[in-house]
Amino acid sequence: MKERLNQIHDEALQEIDNINSMDGLQVVRNTYLSKKSELMQFMGKMKDLKNEERAAFGQFINSIKNEISEKLEHKRKALEEAKLKEKLEKEVVDFTLPSFSYQKGSKHPFQIIVDQVSEIFIGMGYDIAEGPEVELDFFNFELLNVPKDHPARDMQDSFYIDETHLMRSQTSPVQAHVMLKAEGKGPIKIISPGKVYRRDDDATHSHQFGQIEGLVIDKNINMGNLLSTLELFAKSMFGEKREVRMRSSYFPFTEPSVEADISCFECGGKGCKLCKGTGWIEILGAGMVHPHVLEMCGFDTKEYQGFAFGVGIERVAMLKYGIDHIRKFYTNDKRFLTQFVKE
Amino acid sequence: MLASYNLLKNIVDLDGISPKEIADKLTFAGLEVEGIEYLAQASNLVIGQILEVQNHPDSNHLHILKVDEGEKYGVEQIVCGAPNVRVGLKVIVARPGAKLPAKDIVICKSTIRGVESNGMCCALNELGVDKLYLTEAQINGIEELNDDAPVGEENVLAYLGLDDVVFDINVLANRSDCLALYSIAKELGSLFNRKVNIPTPIKYDEVDSEFITSSDTEDCPQFSIKAVKGVVTKPSPLWLQRALMAEGIRSINNIVDIGNYVMLLTGQPLHMYDMKKLKGNKFVVKNNFEGDLVALDEKSYHIENGDLVVTNNDVPVCLAGTMGLLNVAIDDHTIDIAIEAANFKGSTVRKTGNRLGLSSESSARFQKGINPYQDEFVLDLTAQLLVELAEAKVVCKTVRYSTLDENDTKIECSISYINSRLGTTFTKEEIVNVLTRLNIKVCDVDGDNFLAFPPDYRIDLKCDADLSEEVIRYIGFGAIKSILPEMPTTTGGYTSFQQKRLNLRNLLINQGFNEVLTYALVSPKLNDSFVVLNNDEPYVILNPMTVEHSITRRGLVASMLEVIEYNIAHQQKDLAFFEVSGIDTKTQVYQELCVCLNGSKNIRGLLEKKPYDFYDIHGVMEAIFNMLGIDKNRYKEVRLEDSKYYHPGRTTKIMMGKDIIGVCGQVHPTLSKDIGDTYILNLNLTKLFDVRVSSTKMSPVSIYPSVIRDLAFVVNKNVLAGDMIRTMKKNGKSIVKDIQIFDVYQGEFLAKDTKSIAFTITYQDDNKTLVDNDISQAEQSIISALLKEFNAVLRS
Repeated sequence: MKERLNQIHDEALQEIDNINSMDGLQVVRNTYLSKKSELMQFMGKMKDLKNEERAAFGQFINSIKNEISEKLEHKRKALEEAKLKEKLEKEVVDFTLPSFSYQKGSKHPFQIIVDQVSEIFIGMGYDIAEGPEVELDFFNFELLNVPKDHPARDMQDSFYIDETHLMRSQTSPVQAHVMLKAEGKGPIKIISPGKVYRRDDDATHSHQFGQIEGLVIDKNINMGNLLSTLELFAKSMFGEKREVRMRSSYFPFTEPSVEADISCFECGGKGCKLCKGTGWIEILGAGMVHPHVLEMCGFDTKEYQGFAFGVGIERVAMLKYGIDHIRKFYTNDKRFLTQFVKE
Repeated sequence: MLASYNLLKNIVDLDGISPKEIADKLTFAGLEVEGIEYLAQASNLVIGQILEVQNHPDSNHLHILKVDEGEKYGVEQIVCGAPNVRVGLKVIVARPGAKLPAKDIVICKSTIRGVESNGMCCALNELGVDKLYLTEAQINGIEELNDDAPVGEENVLAYLGLDDVVFDINVLANRSDCLALYSIAKELGSLFNRKVNIPTPIKYDEVDSEFITSSDTEDCPQFSIKAVKGVVTKPSPLWLQRALMAEGIRSINNIVDIGNYVMLLTGQPLHMYDMKKLKGNKFVVKNNFEGDLVALDEKSYHIENGDLVVTNNDVPVCLAGTMGLLNVAIDDHTIDIAIEAANFKGSTVRKTGNRLGLSSESSARFQKGINPYQDEFVLDLTAQLLVELAEAKVVCKTVRYSTLDENDTKIECSISYINSRLGTTFTKEEIVNVLTRLNIKVCDVDGDNFLAFPPDYRIDLKCDADLSEEVIRYIGFGAIKSILPEMPTTTGGYTSFQQKRLNLRNLLINQGFNEVLTYALVSPKLNDSFVVLNNDEPYVILNPMTVEHSITRRGLVASMLEVIEYNIAHQQKDLAFFEVSGIDTKTQVYQELCVCLNGSKNIRGLLEKKPYDFYDIHGVMEAIFNMLGIDKNRYKEVRLEDSKYYHPGRTTKIMMGKDIIGVCGQVHPTLSKDIGDTYILNLNLTKLFDVRVSSTKMSPVSIYPSVIRDLAFVVNKNVLAGDMIRTMKKNGKSIVKDIQIFDVYQGEFLAKDTKSIAFTITYQDDNKTLVDNDISQAEQSIISALLKEFNAVLRS
């Protein structure tokens, strides 16, 4: 009997060794460990043994059974591991192949500047004012202290529609509208971004281009306020270290008028190609709103003063992104547009 | 305006002040110096004299010179290629070590074809003199100095009058007075607190003038004539030639040069008439002449009513302020001259000049405005120069017509006003000191208020704000302290419209669209196409630069298609673009959106790509409406079948009531042959953003289970699935929560002209668990409603 058991043991181990599938595993398990298996049948025969032999024999069968079980379990693990390994190997990807496209599109650089500047000034409590692009010359010129006969009103500089209408040549008429609507009561804090039109065409001028103008009117507004506002703008737009300097200039709309330069953001003021060696970049026109303008737009100049400033949208974008020709803004080449994805 | 350093130094004391300092100071004071140029630049020069000329043995054009360079340098051998070398000629020698920036060279001792050469004989253009001022002979050969030139002189540029620096000043529109060297000198005098010396012209014993002057028009408020007789025309002296060269003007002869020189000094344009050619003694300025006149340039110009014309005994003699006429022009034989110093209205001169295409230094000054109170001074100065440089024998009295009052500009201002405007704390002394330095007379009123009287030439100073600018540009903007405005807090922010527009743009950008920017002025041809949203009349530009940009556009679609064409022509494909822009036509001012798809959506590069189709563009529309909270039942889509611009079967009009607010679909295939299938979504954002939507309120999620059932129907192929869903929802009662289409079939297993649509319907009750009976009741009413309305047959 013992002999037969040893034989079964050896056969089982031999068969387990030869298993190469889960199905095979199950067959071997059934052959040796199911109730009907020969080994288990031996268990039934134990009652025929003498008491003193029974314990030792039971132990013997159990040890064989346990060993087969263990070996089977071991085999099962090995098979599973092999299967998993095979599956993983099959599933290897070439991670350099094209992935599903979630590509974001791009803002137009013109709009990037408009949105950025708007955000900066909204943060300072400004509203965004917009207006029509076909304007009365009364709003585009007259109310802005550019009287009839002024050279700036020459036919050759603006696109006229008839004697009194033209494509606005600046966004300032929006300021005139806002001032008139305020009926002499401050405060006013606006910026007005938009497209304007002039009879001009070269590397830095297009007949259509963008401007952002700002206007603040209240009691006690002075040039120091203008300077600090421009400084905040320059720092938000071009970096914390930017400085602003003002130079005397002339615009009919403001008095005093200034050109505001910012310290070069490329070289930090040491002088480079971008700032033409001067360390400064001319970028803004500004000044205190001319008393005539305030009066014409319904404000009492004894009570109210204001400042205004203006910046060219393409000019800022060209400086910021190193765009060399204004026409690039308007040809909309996909290879140009997609460069601004992260802005 | 070009301003010569040497000329300025004659007028204002600039001792010890470098050109750089001058440029900086002027720039910050509002006279921007855009460039500093040198008339000539060279080092290590000396004047020499040729002692000996030998032909070079190895060349047919080179000569070997022996040049005496004076005591210090002795005689040097120089190889020279100029054709005009000769014994005895005095020349400019650039010695070894000399730098000639104009030619970008440094002279070295060298051997030229085996012969030693210790320097170079120079032409003026090699020293940097613009060829414009040189004769052909001067350019082709070396400069021939006068016989009395001092050999050994090392300061050659000064000897030649070429040691000058020229400032290129951008004179702004309000400072037309600075188109005069005297005014710039006064500015410098004020800025550096230096003495200015403008000489008073010599008063000669003047004889009475035979002329009478007047004006028929307000456009000429002042007209003066001074006659000077017995002049001799000849070349100008070197100093005058050089002065004009520095100012960018070529010397002609002494008479013409004097006219130009006086204008440069004073800003007053002059005109000279040959008295022999004048018909009479009566000058009248008129603006009602019409006809053709031949000007100095020998061209004929048509004069219209309104143009200013100077007449002499009714014969036109000058296009006032613009150009003289040939019939009375001075020439080399002129002996007696009538000199005009007038004030013509800038806008009139500008209009005439623009129409005739004529502009000059004179007309530019009139256009910007001149000092109307200096004509007598200017004419006296001119007479003095004609006496000194042109041997004039007789000087007549100035005959003057003027309707101008004395300058009585008076500005009321105060110290506190200036400080409140500038945000400064300048003392009264500081402010008065600045204004006084600017030749503005100040009369104190009460310690704070004062009266200011600007000088004649400052025609730009008119009000108190102007004075605040004078103060700060003189003291410098550095005095302004940066301080944020103290004012009531404002919230600021985008308007609801602006916020929606930004959200819309962000939605599209995040979906992979590229934003474009196109021109709002278009060609009439372009503007006639793709007009569905706006049939309004465009504005037409009176003076377009090209027909391509000559009217305001009625919509964005045509511009967008140009962008697509451009990209495809440049090998760019798979385009997903959009633009948001304002539209301005005669009665419509609104904002529009145009979205465009062309090519394929690259899902995984080229491995997996899907050509764009109608449902891609339509999905964009749905996403936008969804984002805005506009339910499907708020708008209606109707097939747009009658447009020649869109595919009749694949385009819809989006209607809200009777309003068209958008178009969505495919460009008509006949119009997209070159670019391929192209899909457009065009929305009127002004109308769309104006749609009121309810505010968001949470509705409870049902706690009872939902049941899902499928139904399939066969209908005529023209039945719209959306219409069926609407009917199903209406008839399926409130328990129908959702209906999805999961299959659409048309083909061999169905009758011709029919299609099958299969729906997945989700039923759910908010208050109880549904039983079979509830669902079959709902299904029954759906089935019968579809049968009734669409003749829909349930597929088993």
